[in-house]
Amino acid sequence: MKADVETRPVSASAAAKARGDVLLSVDNVSLSFGGVRALRDVSFDIRKGEIRAIIGPNGAGKTSMLNVINGFYHPQGGIITFKGKRRHDMRPYLAASQGIARTFQNVALFRGMSTLDNIMTGRTLKMRRGILAQAIYWGASQREEIRHRKAVEHIIDFLEIKHIRKTPVGKLPYGLQKRVELGRALATEPELLLLDEPMAGMNLEEKQDMSRFILTVRDTFDTTIALIEHDMGVVMDLSDRIVVLDYGRKIADGTPGEVQRNQAVIDAYLGIPH
Amino acid sequence: MNSKSSAVEAGPLDTLPKVLLRNAAQYADRPAMRHKDYGIWQTWTWKGLCDEVRAFAIGLKKIGLQRGDAVSIIGDNRPRLYAAIAAVQSLGGVPVPVYQDAVADEMAYVLEHAEVRFAVVGDQEQVDKIISVAERLPKLERIVYDEERGLATYDPARLHSFKHVQDLGREEMRTNSGADAWWLAEIANGKGGDVSVMLYTSGTTGRPKGVMLTYHNIIVSAANGNKFDGFGPHDLLLAYLPMAWVGDHIFSYAQAYMGAMCVCCPESPETVVEDRREIGPTYFFAPPRVFENLLTQVMVRMEDAGWLKKHMFQYFLEVARRSGEQILDGRPVVLRDRLLYRLGDLLVYAPLRNRMGFSRTRVAYTAGEAIGPELFRFYRSLGVNLKQLYGQTEASVYITMQPDGEVYPDTVGRPAPDVEIKIADNGEVMFKSPGVFLKYYKNEAATKQTKTPDGWVHTGDAGFFDQRGHLKIIDRAKDVGRLNGGALIAPKYLENRIKFFPEVREAVAFGQGHDYVTMFINIDPISVGNWAERNNVSYASYQELAGHPRVEEIVAKRVDELNEALSQEPQMAGSQIRRFLILPKELDADDGELTRTQKVRRSFIAERYEALITALYDGAKERQLSIEVTFEDGRKGKIDGDVRIVDMKIYPNPSTEPLREAAE
Repeated sequence: MKADVETRPVSASAAAKARGDVLLSVDNVSLSFGGVRALRDVSFDIRKGEIRAIIGPNGAGKTSMLNVINGFYHPQGGIITFKGKRRHDMRPYLAASQGIARTFQNVALFRGMSTLDNIMTGRTLKMRRGILAQAIYWGASQREEIRHRKAVEHIIDFLEIKHIRKTPVGKLPYGLQKRVELGRALATEPELLLLDEPMAGMNLEEKQDMSRFILTVRDTFDTTIALIEHDMGVVMDLSDRIVVLDYGRKIADGTPGEVQRNQAVIDAYLGIPH
Repeated sequence: MNSKSSAVEAGPLDTLPKVLLRNAAQYADRPAMRHKDYGIWQTWTWKGLCDEVRAFAIGLKKIGLQRGDAVSIIGDNRPRLYAAIAAVQSLGGVPVPVYQDAVADEMAYVLEHAEVRFAVVGDQEQVDKIISVAERLPKLERIVYDEERGLATYDPARLHSFKHVQDLGREEMRTNSGADAWWLAEIANGKGGDVSVMLYTSGTTGRPKGVMLTYHNIIVSAANGNKFDGFGPHDLLLAYLPMAWVGDHIFSYAQAYMGAMCVCCPESPETVVEDRREIGPTYFFAPPRVFENLLTQVMVRMEDAGWLKKHMFQYFLEVARRSGEQILDGRPVVLRDRLLYRLGDLLVYAPLRNRMGFSRTRVAYTAGEAIGPELFRFYRSLGVNLKQLYGQTEASVYITMQPDGEVYPDTVGRPAPDVEIKIADNGEVMFKSPGVFLKYYKNEAATKQTKTPDGWVHTGDAGFFDQRGHLKIIDRAKDVGRLNGGALIAPKYLENRIKFFPEVREAVAFGQGHDYVTMFINIDPISVGNWAERNNVSYASYQELAGHPRVEEIVAKRVDELNEALSQEPQMAGSQIRRFLILPKELDADDGELTRTQKVRRSFIAERYEALITALYDGAKERQLSIEVTFEDGRKGKIDGDVRIVDMKIYPNPSTEPLREAAE
């Protein structure tokens, strides 16, 4: 193949610039538990179609931030605007119905259920028929089930977990459980996908697979992704922009290159006396 | 279409695209291929397959494929890739299937050597691999991919989806009424003597060689293969072995076309066992390794079974061992055993066959490596008509085959139809047949070395005919060695014996030029891992498990069993294993220790682990090992550690007769 037409994936940041509308913005959010101030006056935005990383040392408030976004925690101060709508008080189920899905730092799946059933639970919000109709399983409810099953099969195919379709999730190795969890989040067809340490505890190959899935999710489904990750190599490669938190404060915000050169970030990671 | 293709039908069926046209006319609505997509089996009829092939072929023409061009086919077994082979052949191109798990460098060598202009690949992984070596492939112009996932953002200049190429073809057929006739004329242009496919042999030594096979080679071999076991339109087979391997090309492509059989593609490489169970193939081919793994899985599951099941399993397995094979071969068996076998079939064998996907299997073959006799008998005693064949890429597979009722675990059968065999003075098996390859691509020297001017081919294997007229292969001709005492040693024979034990995955025996036999052993992580779980042995890595003293104990017990068995065989008593060690890493094709078909590369291993071999012969108890390993993504790492060496007891020979010459 000739070098002049070398085929490479279009670079991630270029793709992000082409996108651009703000999907979610967080303005001056503060959160405290008793005397512990988990988040102090944090502001940033997530643009449509980008991969936004939130990084920081342990206890910096990253997971708290995600919890605030999907309504699990309720901040004492500040405003969160999602798809142009401002809100103070959010509930996780509302967040889910508005198009926010997430995965957890410690896998939170139904361990006794199969991969298929676990991902199917992600479709619950989209099911229209009542419990009784589904139990009778006739006509419209049967057609609905088949439609959802089809959507789930596409996800199973996409994540390459066909071989464990019917395996109870509790029996799977950790890396695969993480993949199933991503599958369940995708099943809700989210606009914004929150990933809490999607690669924790994975070996290199699993990390590569997961990175590929994340990029492909963004590229093919146009899903916006916010992720927390400790592996800096992964973060720098994957994300378009990075927010850095330290002791609940935002200390930097920018492209991977900018963040890497930022003195405050270097200090936070290397550690200086506070 | 019938009227237009009559010109083709009138001529001889001397190319596979012509056979496809025949099938599309004669077996139009019968299934040609099945594959599982999104969890559901989908069917392509012969007529449907023919339409897909035509659309793709005309599309390929539109993007510039010329007669004589080499087109690489790389990916897991998918109907579209098989259709691509037929489409390329229909235009007079030469398909060059490449092993889909080859690392980028190996792939680049083949693509470069074969001067490939187009590549039809399975998915993003293969596209990435090719792009990563693109600068070494100035001749490669276009890549066509089947699975579109992940490729949406790639520069489309030279990348096409399979569907896009077919759309181009369909568009052409709609706007140009002559397109169909043109395609049929292209097919009619093909001749039996044309090169139909180029298959690169994995080769235990040196760079792979491109074996050129003509339509004549392949059609005669496939027809003979079908006739031998009576395969026809009602047979089903599962295509799951690499498409670049000659066996898959002959069985899943040529024989399927010739016999209008239905070829089923698994959903993914990991789901093969489940898919086989669902399909229930009537014809099944697998290298011994697959049968080994299946047996290991069954045994592991039985270890976890309840008391009643376990005892029932063991009891009826014993019944099967006594009488199963005789019943399969139609030989007389005492009434009591016959009845017990019936009962066993109901309770154990049939469910077991079902679990392994052999419920409808009429014929199963194994080849590629010698199969352990115990393993072979196990399947036959369960009522699976497992047979052996012996073949090579250079022979379009078939050299010898076992006819029904004449199946012995220690031979590979009689010469296949139309094949002549002779044994050279050094014990090497040589053959001559209509399947003999044309030549190696761009490698005159190797062709001369392998093929004599009068058409005999050196197999490189040592063997002899026994009293029943069956060929016995003992080892690679160059691997058969001698101990210092003068006794012959056939390393592979010993390795195959030890590999029957579920705990052992791979082994390498040494002895040539030494006083006694020694061995490297690779434990089986599934079987041993399961044992460790049940016995509360904790470990963090393969290396740690392999080095565990209790694992060593188990393996030593197995080697001891083998030694005792060997001492009973007059020819092999001298080959008892005196010392062995357990390797801290799995032998791996990525490190060059195995070939892509998972055969041991003996000389390479001997060189790489030279320090350990020295230790096996200098009486050391332990040796430090530090070697480089390659991970699947191509990164390198290092393994360090001490390897212990175990001394074994040698059993006295019942007779002092030394191992006789193989050719005797």
